[in-house]
Amino acid sequence: MGDIVLLTGASGTVGRGLVRALAKRSNVNVIYALSHQVDVEANPSVVPLRGDVRSATLGLSAQEYGEVRQRATLVIHAAADTRFSASLYELQAINVEGTKNVLAFAADCGQLRGLTALSTVHVAGKRTGTILESSLPHDAGFVNNYEQSKYEAEIILREAMKDLPITVIRLSTVLSDSKTGEVSKLAAIHQGLRLYYHSLAPMIPGTPDCLVDLIASDYAVSAIADLACDGFHAGQTFHLCAGKDAFTLEQLLAQTHDAFMTYRPSWRKRSIAMPAIVDLPTFELFAQSVDEVGDNLLRHSVRVIQHFAPQLAYPKVFDDTGCTEALAKFDIEKPRVADFYPKAIRWLVESGWTDRAIVPEAVAS
Amino acid sequence: MPGSPQTSVGVAAIEYVLGREIVTVDELESRGLLDTPAVRMREFGFQCIRVSRQSQHELALEAARQLIENSHTDPRTIDAIYYVGATPDSHAVMNGDPRSAFHYPAAQLQYELEMARAIALGVSQVGCAGMMAAVSLARNFLLSNQSAERVLCVSSDVLPAGSRREMIYNVVSDGACALLVEKGSSTNQIMGHRQITKGYYWDFLYKKNEIAAAYFPTARTIIRDSLQSCGLEWPALARIVPHNVSLRSWEILLRLLGVSGEKLFADNIAKFGHVIAADNWMNLRDVSNDGGLASGDKVLLFTFGFGANWSCMILEH
Repeated sequence: MGDIVLLTGASGTVGRGLVRALAKRSNVNVIYALSHQVDVEANPSVVPLRGDVRSATLGLSAQEYGEVRQRATLVIHAAADTRFSASLYELQAINVEGTKNVLAFAADCGQLRGLTALSTVHVAGKRTGTILESSLPHDAGFVNNYEQSKYEAEIILREAMKDLPITVIRLSTVLSDSKTGEVSKLAAIHQGLRLYYHSLAPMIPGTPDCLVDLIASDYAVSAIADLACDGFHAGQTFHLCAGKDAFTLEQLLAQTHDAFMTYRPSWRKRSIAMPAIVDLPTFELFAQSVDEVGDNLLRHSVRVIQHFAPQLAYPKVFDDTGCTEALAKFDIEKPRVADFYPKAIRWLVESGWTDRAIVPEAVAS
Repeated sequence: MPGSPQTSVGVAAIEYVLGREIVTVDELESRGLLDTPAVRMREFGFQCIRVSRQSQHELALEAARQLIENSHTDPRTIDAIYYVGATPDSHAVMNGDPRSAFHYPAAQLQYELEMARAIALGVSQVGCAGMMAAVSLARNFLLSNQSAERVLCVSSDVLPAGSRREMIYNVVSDGACALLVEKGSSTNQIMGHRQITKGYYWDFLYKKNEIAAAYFPTARTIIRDSLQSCGLEWPALARIVPHNVSLRSWEILLRLLGVSGEKLFADNIAKFGHVIAADNWMNLRDVSNDGGLASGDKVLLFTFGFGANWSCMILEH
């Protein structure tokens, strides 16, 4: 008998890839692909479900809820609100309350053998140093509300591990496909790179040698599918990240500069300076000044950077020993950042990403 | 490094004049001449500006006369006059006839000051970096002409009456400055000068945000490179003589450079704000006259001009 999987967040950045990856697995019979949208890829083994994890019933009809509860053997909880700029209240609705609802659902599943919850390595917030997979509670604070909401969700998941077979996979920043460079959804990092391209990123908080942890989306999807299905370890937390392979901030900026020059030769003539790497108080003073007198474009640009880049002022290395060991038995190789990063920049440059408006219409007005 | 006494070139004398009318930032706001609230401008270190009812040429003439008199220089010994103006208005004495665009103030000044042997030319299109460019050109001229001894550099800019007085979050005064660049000068020997031009930012009205963003990393680069090319490190520097943009932007730039604010001569930012191409030199004169510099002190001047141009000069006082 194969597994019957409930996947939440099926239309998200990672969720879309997971639907495809799970559908290819011979030991997965059915995928209930839950999403607030219904544009899930068609496949005979995929059952698209329109729903909402903010609801106690996951937004499903009584019949749908009953069917999935009765049949599901695995739950992969990928639904999340990943907006760094959203209010804590908005983020908690999906990331915390949504997690509670999925846990309640899982507790009702008679045949459940595992629940895999996706989280972020940035639940570590403003902690510095080596971050172990096993560690969670801290009082260092957070750079943005997203981090805090995912942290709160993990606290709940840890508590629930006493009663349910749960594993948590903390993802690093997902950049692009390792082979094609394709970016399925533009995230904060891509927006930050675009600001650099357009000479709107004057400075980045951090230190030259702090690590910027990035992973490839295809690798993330394969690893999650393996860990959730064949390599499930109840009670474990894994760091799915670049770890020691991560670029330093200085390397990242230099590689970006080189890739812009390579894939958009005309960019060279702009002579755009690399953003200065500065300490956090300097960045905050600049951000404050722009907020006080800058016009809309620069203010928006600095806010984009402000929502995620201060994380770099809290240097840390994510230890991924457990994840590496758990994945060792699978035929999966972690792509090197140095190999896939230029492909991502190439894809971004060639996809027209540079021509899109910097300030969203809603903000501009 | 400065050359031997025979070949070294320095700024031997500095004089300046400002517009006579003192206008506070609050008055500018009430006249509708600011984009940013006056309260914010005061937080950024500005208090007053100086507005001139005299023309650019009149201010330039006044500053140059002061220089010649106070330095006891015979104008007939001046080999060149470099006239600096940031705007096209500064480079023509217009009288309503379009052909008066060929009425050059550099030549007029040469005649009025009786500098009979001086060649006259204008330095333009460098914005606020014009005076530093002129000093650098003057040095090169003197070093490549064995018989040449001194160059008069004059900068003068007066904004049209009723002009808005804010440029990218800085307030601007009218003023003129005259420098005597001389071979074998015992003061302000030019150790090095660097200029970076980035034409991508030529349209400052359209690229205002990009310029504001590019300003800091490029400023850091040119300042570091200038120090390095002179074989200097920060501790060896006695003073930073700024262009009078906001104190806030200097605070940010100094933090970027990892330098404390003690070496920055910022007294004039509140008094008259930014004076186009002249304020570094006005500040150099004032810090020197106030006893803030000793002989042999190394001084760094940095400025930014539209174009966009970043410019940095290191002097040995």
